[in-house]
Amino acid sequence: MIHAHGLSKIYGRGNVEVRALDGIDLEIQRGEFVGVMGASGSGKSTLLHLIGLLDRPSSGTLIIADTDVTRLSEQERTIFRLNRLGYVFQDYALVPELTAEENIFLPSRVRGMTATECTRTCRDILGLVGLRDRVSFLPGELSGGEQQRVAIARALVNNPALLLADEPCANLDSRNSVLILDLIRKLNRDLRQTVVMVSHEDWHRKYFDRVLYLQDGKIVEDPGAKSMPATP
Amino acid sequence: MLDEEQVALFLASRIIARGNKGTLLLTVMIIAMVFVNLIFLPSIIAGVVVLFNQQTIDYSYANLVVEPREGSLYISNPTSLVEKINRIPGVVASTPRYSGGATIEHKGKSTTPLVIAIDPDREPEVMKVHTGIISGDYLSDSDTGQILLGTTLAGDREQKVERTPTLGGVEVGKTVEVTFRNGVTKQFRVKGILKTGTSLIDNNAYINRHDLVGVLGEEDPANQVLVKTTTTGNENAMRLLLMQYGVQEQIWTWQDKSADFLKSIVGSFDIINLISTAVSLVIAVVVIFIVIFISIVYRRRQIGILQAIGIDRRIIIKSYIFQALFICSCGTICGCLLLLAVIQYLAAFPLVFPGGPVAPVLESGLVLRSIISLFVVALIAGFVPSWLTTREEILAAIRG
Repeated sequence: MIHAHGLSKIYGRGNVEVRALDGIDLEIQRGEFVGVMGASGSGKSTLLHLIGLLDRPSSGTLIIADTDVTRLSEQERTIFRLNRLGYVFQDYALVPELTAEENIFLPSRVRGMTATECTRTCRDILGLVGLRDRVSFLPGELSGGEQQRVAIARALVNNPALLLADEPCANLDSRNSVLILDLIRKLNRDLRQTVVMVSHEDWHRKYFDRVLYLQDGKIVEDPGAKSMPATP
Repeated sequence: MLDEEQVALFLASRIIARGNKGTLLLTVMIIAMVFVNLIFLPSIIAGVVVLFNQQTIDYSYANLVVEPREGSLYISNPTSLVEKINRIPGVVASTPRYSGGATIEHKGKSTTPLVIAIDPDREPEVMKVHTGIISGDYLSDSDTGQILLGTTLAGDREQKVERTPTLGGVEVGKTVEVTFRNGVTKQFRVKGILKTGTSLIDNNAYINRHDLVGVLGEEDPANQVLVKTTTTGNENAMRLLLMQYGVQEQIWTWQDKSADFLKSIVGSFDIINLISTAVSLVIAVVVIFIVIFISIVYRRRQIGILQAIGIDRRIIIKSYIFQALFICSCGTICGCLLLLAVIQYLAAFPLVFPGGPVAPVLESGLVLRSIISLFVVALIAGFVPSWLTTREEILAAIRG
């Protein structure tokens, strides 16, 4: 599903440069639930941003679902994000003026579904995340956990190849965190959804099939690592 | 409608409907004020120009002025000319006049105004001088030795400093001495004082044309025939018609006669108008741009998130353009209502200018130009900041 080779991200200006990611080699299989962990500044969010096509690598190759995403134009990256990726943000990032259903409706409508198809899909997916009775609620009327579930539903609406979650429980209490993690785990198992999730909570490890541990922009612990073939 | 526009419209409609109502109302009101500002002063200036034009027609020249043939001082047989003109289709009435300078004296004070000899019976059918009587009475056809004085010419006894020479406060019933250009002096009793609000008219004196017979030695003295036509605006066609009907005297339109005076006034107003409109438009551009720009910058993070979940930047830009156009439409409608209210008020309580009361005149061209200007500005104000925001890196936008 994901194949990265020599992936680097260097920030900086003039002579001062910061290597946020330093030559990452990585392979994630379809249907895996991978946790990305590490201390603050270790590069875990940067890695997720590169995989989520929110940022471009300074060097290296990144292939997602058989597409070399480093070669895509800005327009192609937008279409790829819409059709192949689902992104869950730490702070839910819902549009405050749209109801739960409308927040989910938006990406599917952009993808070209008819309004009727969108409504049906939205209701199904809200049922899947346990919010069928919150269809017409605005984000401000939902609890943090409910908002995050709407965000997950939005990320899943276009049936993406890959679900990316950037510390989705960071703003939630432990009860809601468990609910969200159970939900993601369930989606991963039931829908064979590939999930990459950034977390800094050690107790989340038990949900992951595999943990990538980052330190100073390098993977220092990867139980699934194997020697990478050279990029063609 | 295309899918892209439908999604943009959906997004815009929800953001407007469920966004901050206070901010929306404030923005709409600002645009309404900008709209009023764009139109109000030019409409007042248009009102002043209309007033000047109307007063020129009502008190000075009517629609057409017939003057003696070249080389003649008087119109020959003006009474029959008037009757001839009155029979021409499109003519309401005409009246003969003789106007010339004279010196008027009263209790040692003297001034040299224009003295206009009129036919008191015919004159009200063409001119409105008779409506300006504020004291005493208007002249009658049988009056001799009677004079009407403009209020400025008559003067005010209480006034210590005079802006123009006056007779120092002559009242109805008093006698003034008029010395005509040929040296003939005659006593006149003041029959009425008139005030039109037009300084040129309020400085004149009016006598009966019979009184000039003995002064000028002419049986039927006139150097003008003023002609009132059924419609204002087709004076040139009416002039040609008069010529076709055999009027051989010189014929001028009121625009010809007042060309220099009105041109200089209208020209000055046009410059003021141009500057005012340009300044208002710049203010409109800046205000609308800032208001919408702030609104979009406030939503910078949201724009970043929409891009992150795969919403095409064109949809985002269009949604902000729709929002800007909607706000502009509401602002324009409110501005129109506000303007109508102001105009209704000023119609009831007109602004009083030296020439008389002025009501604003709304010109459809100006209103249309202002609406188009505002919409162009709104289009730019909606497009530029959203275009800039969607061009920056998604992460930078999300981080705000």
